[in-house]
Amino acid sequence: MYRYDQIDKDILADRSAEFRGQVARRLAGELSEDQFKPLRLRNGLYLQLHAYMLRVAIPYGSLNPTQLRKLAWIGRTYDKGYGHFTTRTNLQFHWIKLADAPEILDALASVDMHAIQTSGNCIRNVTADPYAGATAEEIDDPRVWAEAIRQWSTIHPEFNWLPRKFKIAVSAAAKDRTAAKTHDIGLNLKRARDGVLGFEVMVGGGLGRLPHIAPTVRPFLPAQRLFSYLEAILRVYNRHGRRDNIHKARIKILVAALGAEEFARQVEAEWEKIGTSADLPDTELARIRGAFAPTAFETLPAVSEAFEAAKARSPAFARFARNNLKPHKVAGYAIVEISLKAIGQTPGDATAEQMEVVADLAERFGQDDIRVTHEQNLVLPHVKLDDAPAVWAALAEAGLATANMNLVSDIIACPGLDYCALANARSISVAQNIAAKFADAERAERVGELKIKISGCINACGHHHVGHIGILGVDKKGEEFYQLTLGGSAAEDAGVGQALGPALPYERVAEAVDTLVDVYLRERQGAERFLDTFRRTGVAPFKEAVYADVH
Amino acid sequence: MPTFIRLQAGAPALAEDPFTAVGDDQTIPPGDVIISLSRFQTEGEGLLSEGRQVGVRLESHEDVEALAYDLPRIAVVALAFPKFGDGRAYTSARLLRERFHFKGEVRAVGDVLREQAGYMVRCGFDAFEPADGSTAQAWERATHRFRHVYQRASDGRPVAFEGRGG
Amino acid sequence: MKALTANRLIDGEVVFWRNGQWVEQFGDAQLFNDDDPAGEAAEAHGKNQPTVVVEPYLIDLTQSQGLWAPVSYRERIRALGPTNLNHGKQADGGAAIEALQHAHGAARSTGRVDLIKRK
Repeated sequence: MYRYDQIDKDILADRSAEFRGQVARRLAGELSEDQFKPLRLRNGLYLQLHAYMLRVAIPYGSLNPTQLRKLAWIGRTYDKGYGHFTTRTNLQFHWIKLADAPEILDALASVDMHAIQTSGNCIRNVTADPYAGATAEEIDDPRVWAEAIRQWSTIHPEFNWLPRKFKIAVSAAAKDRTAAKTHDIGLNLKRARDGVLGFEVMVGGGLGRLPHIAPTVRPFLPAQRLFSYLEAILRVYNRHGRRDNIHKARIKILVAALGAEEFARQVEAEWEKIGTSADLPDTELARIRGAFAPTAFETLPAVSEAFEAAKARSPAFARFARNNLKPHKVAGYAIVEISLKAIGQTPGDATAEQMEVVADLAERFGQDDIRVTHEQNLVLPHVKLDDAPAVWAALAEAGLATANMNLVSDIIACPGLDYCALANARSISVAQNIAAKFADAERAERVGELKIKISGCINACGHHHVGHIGILGVDKKGEEFYQLTLGGSAAEDAGVGQALGPALPYERVAEAVDTLVDVYLRERQGAERFLDTFRRTGVAPFKEAVYADVH
Repeated sequence: MPTFIRLQAGAPALAEDPFTAVGDDQTIPPGDVIISLSRFQTEGEGLLSEGRQVGVRLESHEDVEALAYDLPRIAVVALAFPKFGDGRAYTSARLLRERFHFKGEVRAVGDVLREQAGYMVRCGFDAFEPADGSTAQAWERATHRFRHVYQRASDGRPVAFEGRGG
Repeated sequence: MKALTANRLIDGEVVFWRNGQWVEQFGDAQLFNDDDPAGEAAEAHGKNQPTVVVEPYLIDLTQSQGLWAPVSYRERIRALGPTNLNHGKQADGGAAIEALQHAHGAARSTGRVDLIKRK
């Protein structure tokens, strides 16, 4: 992992001191709320329904045990013993007092963490493939690039006051685990035929009110030119992005208005003028790369006897192994996915105790490495197959061994109206009601991969547009209603879902999902996933079934 | 009169403003003036020929490229912040300094708060009309808030990776 | 009926207006008749306390089983706490809380201005 040097630490300390002064000025009345809001947002602090919410950055979703324990401590000390992992691989505390915020930022800085630019109209926390350094599929380690982007984007002098928020993702494999095409910039690591490392650059994705899948603006950008190219994109956006209408201010609107080709032409023209002066020197890239040097893996047989024996002995472990273990690039190791979607629990929530259990396991069995996924789960990227049974047993004891990765109950949900000042309707309890319908693990496995994503408002933090089943909460005269969309995807086969029909009242949503799943099981051919079946049959059979009793 | 702060040898200091900002509907007084781009385009030539110093105020949507050929004759480019969250002027300032090598004064006017001081100085601003009553001392503190920077910009400050020795 | 609500600046706590003070429980809130100018006067007073509360606003109330409850579901959640965990005001219990929890009836939106600005 990247270790902060004195320079990185000084920057966090300076930022924390700056915010402490701003909070004091706000409390003394020297800053108005209108002036203070953009400042607190750039430090991750929102005022929500019940309290302030602090959004802590987890750059490229990467944590060490010391950091996770500190998050647990903050949760226990300043919150109600919980943290909520988000679709941006950040962690939110929902019960924060403004007066405590500077102290919390100091506590974060003590373990090289921060809340810088987790909100506001600036470059946000960069996300990357959570299997970085562990999957054989990757072209290059995306953390090297994500860390370099983190530094470049931190307190950027020119791009801290953009028309709107700006999100960058680095995907490292053909299989996209970052939802790259829904980002303002999606970078997909590629290797040219001659072996040169580079990126496919996709610009102008985004969800929210007007969902867009990012078009490719440059099929191949040599990796060492990344930062001048980013500067060119951001400069074109900073100058020409709309500022008259907050709903039309994201770069996706600019790209769509100009057309991808014209946008690319403007970026290339600016890029040419910038030249190489904005690129990062190879020495600095090498320094960062050194921090992610492959860990020393043991030479192990591909088949672990202990692992096989445990599977044979325990059907529950076998189920966990089937659903939550993913292939590792090194023989005898596995990537272990930890579901934060236990049936009946809040998607993405972890208690302080659970965070500590995961930190301990990472230390004992996982090379001190923990990842957060945009699907609101955790990952231990390097676990020996021999140790998997022990890891599973400890997770099970902490309520963290739900074997539902990518299954119907592995639901993305934003905090919704239970916490969020922007929400129109609840998300959490809708997720809980749906998960309860699929509590039978065998049935859930029979259904197979099915990505349900729930947002409590049109801002789409729950990524509903790109759910295989998307659910959007809307307000109808003060009551909660939900619009369903089908056939979206955030992965390499990205697409925006299609509306199913009129919005359904709260009470009918879980039952409607159940009906959709039944239609899929009836219609599916061969090994089709829900998404495949839907894309083949279209909306008609699904619509008919859900609205049958309405007529 | 708003407070006026200038960088003098790199340090913010309270200064006398020799320029008068003149609105489009005002008659032009004697002395050095700052006028809008459109007024400069029609009246600039005449004013310059009178031997006085002329500054041009650019609104945040106006492109610095419009001044490209006149920059050597212009004393001040005043970049407007209609709201402090409107960040277009940062790009304008960098282009003035780094692309057009403008050596005159780049002044921040409008909704100018000390929170922006560090960003402004990094992008090449060297004069400020703070709207929050900032003293030169407060401006100085805000300017030097961060001991290190991660990016190259117009101020030529050494970048973190250079200090790391690579 | 109406009540005046806001979030307290220093900790974000949901508060309600009662005779010149801010109180934490909806059950203690002062109620204003819809046409009573005292409601708007209180709101103006609240807006003049920018170092005490953030963005005070009046909410509409409806009667449910003899007790008053906010009309909108959002305001009920603010008055009670989140529905997934008993981490909010509902943890204090009491008759007023219970009445709110069982309030139903035609909720409708109120005071929901440009929400994106409210974060």
